[in-house]
Amino acid sequence: MPQPRKKSRSLRRIHVRTPGGRTTIHYKHSKPKSAKCGKCGAVLKGIIRERPFKMRKVGKTKKRPTRPYGGVLCTKCTRALFIEKARK
Amino acid sequence: MIEVGRICLKICGRDGGRECVIVDILDDNYVLIDGNVRRRKCNIFHLESTPKKIDIKKGASHEDVKKEFSKLKIDVWETKPKEKKEKPRKIRKKKVQEVAKEGKTEKKKAEKKPIDARVVSVTKKETNEKIAVKKKAVKEPVKKE
Repeated sequence: MPQPRKKSRSLRRIHVRTPGGRTTIHYKHSKPKSAKCGKCGAVLKGIIRERPFKMRKVGKTKKRPTRPYGGVLCTKCTRALFIEKARK
Repeated sequence: MIEVGRICLKICGRDGGRECVIVDILDDNYVLIDGNVRRRKCNIFHLESTPKKIDIKKGASHEDVKKEFSKLKIDVWETKPKEKKEKPRKIRKKKVQEVAKEGKTEKKKAEKKPIDARVVSVTKKETNEKIAVKKKAVKEPVKKE
C-alpha cells in the first residue's frame, strides 16, 4: 500500500522497471501552467515552465524575451501601446 | 508618411518604443533607420510615423544625425566597439594525456636514487643469461625440421 501522504492527486504516477525485473511506481510533481498576458490573458511565448527551485537556478534569458514589456504583455498589446503613444 | 527626414516610432523588437529617423528608402518594403536605434534596415510595417520632421540629406552619416537630434533634445544610440578576445586553442584529449604522462616520467627520473654498482653488475648477468636461454630455444625447432 502507498504511503498516505502520496495519495494526493497533485502528484503524477510513473512506472519504473527495476534491475530485479519488477515494476514499481515513482511519484513526481507536475509542471506549473504557462505564463499569461497581463491585459488580454493570452499565453506568453519565450518562458519556460518549471518549479520555483529550478527557475532560480536558470539564467535571465530563459524567463523572458529581450524586448520592452517582455514577460508581462503579449506582442499585440505592446504594439497597441506604442501606436497610441505615437498618435498623441 | 514615408520620406527622408521623417521621425518615426519603432513598434517591434529590442528597440521598441524609441524614436528614429528615415535616412534612405531601399525598396517597396524596406527603409534605412538611424537615431536612438541601431543603424540598420527596417520593415515599414514596424514603424509608426509622427508629425515631426528634420532637414537631412539622403544617406546621411551617423554624426549628421547626432547634430540634428541634439537640437530636439533626443538621445542617440551608440554601439559599443567589440573587444577582440583571443580564442583558447582546443587541445584533444589524447594530447593532454600524453603531455601529462611525459611530465610524470620526467618527474620519476628526477626522483630516482642512484643504484649501487654491485647490484647493477648482478642484474646484468641475470639478463644476459635469460637472453642466452631464449636464443637456444629458438634454434632447436629449426634444426629438427
